[in-house]
Amino acid sequence: MEPSRDTHATLVDLLDRILDKGLVINTDIIISVAGIPLIGVNLRAAIAGMETMLKYGVMQAWDEKTRAWEREHLKKNSPSLLEEEEIVLKMYGYYYYSKGIYTAWRPGYFYLTNKRLILYRQDFDEIAFQVPLEEIKALLIREEVHFVKEKKKRVLYLMDKQNQVHRLSAVETTQLKKAIEQNLTTIGLFLETNPVFPAFEEVLIDFLTEAEEITHRGREIWYLVPASGILQETWRPGHLYLTNNRLCWWYDFERKLFFDVPVNTICSTKTEMRKTSGLNSTKELVLEVTYRFGSTELVAAFAGEEQIEEWTEALNRIVSGRVSEETETCPQCGKSAPSKELLEDGCLNCGWVSHRSKKKIAEVAL
Amino acid sequence: MDGARYIYCITGGNEKIALGNIGIDDNEVYTIPCQDLCAVVHNCPAEPYTSEDNEVMQTWVMKHQKVVDIAMEKFGTVLPLGFDTIIKGEEDIPSDENIKKWLNDDYENLRQKLAKFKDRAEYGVQIIWDPKVIGKKLIENNQEIKNLNEELKSKSKGLAYMYKQKLENLLKKEMEAEAERYFKDFYERIKRCVDDIKVEKTKKLDDDKQMLLNLSCLLFKEKSKVLGEELEAINNMEGFLVRFTGPWPPYSFV
Repeated sequence: MEPSRDTHATLVDLLDRILDKGLVINTDIIISVAGIPLIGVNLRAAIAGMETMLKYGVMQAWDEKTRAWEREHLKKNSPSLLEEEEIVLKMYGYYYYSKGIYTAWRPGYFYLTNKRLILYRQDFDEIAFQVPLEEIKALLIREEVHFVKEKKKRVLYLMDKQNQVHRLSAVETTQLKKAIEQNLTTIGLFLETNPVFPAFEEVLIDFLTEAEEITHRGREIWYLVPASGILQETWRPGHLYLTNNRLCWWYDFERKLFFDVPVNTICSTKTEMRKTSGLNSTKELVLEVTYRFGSTELVAAFAGEEQIEEWTEALNRIVSGRVSEETETCPQCGKSAPSKELLEDGCLNCGWVSHRSKKKIAEVAL
Repeated sequence: MDGARYIYCITGGNEKIALGNIGIDDNEVYTIPCQDLCAVVHNCPAEPYTSEDNEVMQTWVMKHQKVVDIAMEKFGTVLPLGFDTIIKGEEDIPSDENIKKWLNDDYENLRQKLAKFKDRAEYGVQIIWDPKVIGKKLIENNQEIKNLNEELKSKSKGLAYMYKQKLENLLKKEMEAEAERYFKDFYERIKRCVDDIKVEKTKKLDDDKQMLLNLSCLLFKEKSKVLGEELEAINNMEGFLVRFTGPWPPYSFV
């Protein structure tokens, strides 16, 4: 085998030597060549062949892009301000963005200036939300459910003069509200004292079929989402709806129905005090709804503090109401009567009793 | 200030000799003697050669090598320097004087090295294997793997998956052991043919093959045939490929 000096692979091998090795002069009279290794990598890649160059090339472009982004990012970390505009407060927070079916809490920095309230998204150099101070009509803080059962999130509802309501949340929502109010006062603006906020329908109720009506609704009803795959069963917040046809539970975070059963499959209800959180040991009233699914019976558990009793009643009305509605005809005289009554008490018309009831009566007589 | 000097290599000799416009950017290359050592240089501004353009860089690097090659042809043994080694002058000392001072101060060391490299050259040896071929052979010959492979066939789908993972892990382990065995074997065989040997980092390859070992070897130029024969034998083994490059100036041994 003869050594070669001029093939392609050889070239790369040689470059390794020329760029990284050679006699080293340990003295300060040598010009330092910072950055040479980098060029070396580049160069080697270029010579290594088209394929590698593409690989490196992509990386290089990516590298340059990320660095350029970083430079931009470092340079620009606040929104462009208007003339004579001054920042009063900067706070990390979120703006609830909703468009069509897309909804999300978008993070960014709130900038309260003497002219505007802005939510600025640094990474994109984008103003996600802004409202001129004089356009703010009213503010209201509501506590809302958080993803974790024990936590509540303070949400700042901001109504503008067009009666549009925006949902904002910040690290210190109350403080943000106070700062806005103070700022308004100093420039001589006032908020409406008793604002009437329109009901904020969080759920896009598009799951109703024609002629279906909601007869009962509850916000902040927790449903024990059954285990699936590696996920354990977990309590999750959402909205429970009872219509004339279905019992549905809408999951807030995934924004879709997670539980959806026809009312005529509901067999029974039961309530019990249960632990609903792994974090503390307090028990609360849990409603267990047993329903038929194919040939088996399943149980769905709901929690929702004082709302639960109300829901239990509502569902019980359906269960018991339905039983009384089911009628059967008497096998002896043919008169129709509620089937439960017919089976347990016999026919009131002709005196017929069911085989099982006869046995029972015989047992009692003994 | 009289600018700086780009140094290609050090060689023996005591005359100032002009080699023509063969340098980087067609600069005139000449020697700066001191005692019986020479630095092969060209005049340049006191700043490194850098370019965003890879083609320009490549041309420069190749020129560097070309000059070292010519010096080797003309003077025999050389001590090559890496690309972009530039010596500058100081306020009251011209750069030529700095070079001479360095040659003088380092005289013993440089002389020794020149003696060590006399009639010798550096060769690159890279041995590459095809893991697919080696893996296949392992499956055929390793009893443990064979057993596991047999067992796998009789298992249900779920268990088979588990067995497959077991098999993969075992194969990986065996491949690593195999790589180590081959590495040691090849290293010993090559070492017998050379004066000095350096293990270099293996490099990722474009295709699905793997570099098993990457060596720089120093040996008498005439002896490259012996090394070549040994490498030929390795190259003929199934699943192995040898890259043999050189002769190079002894970049890795200076």
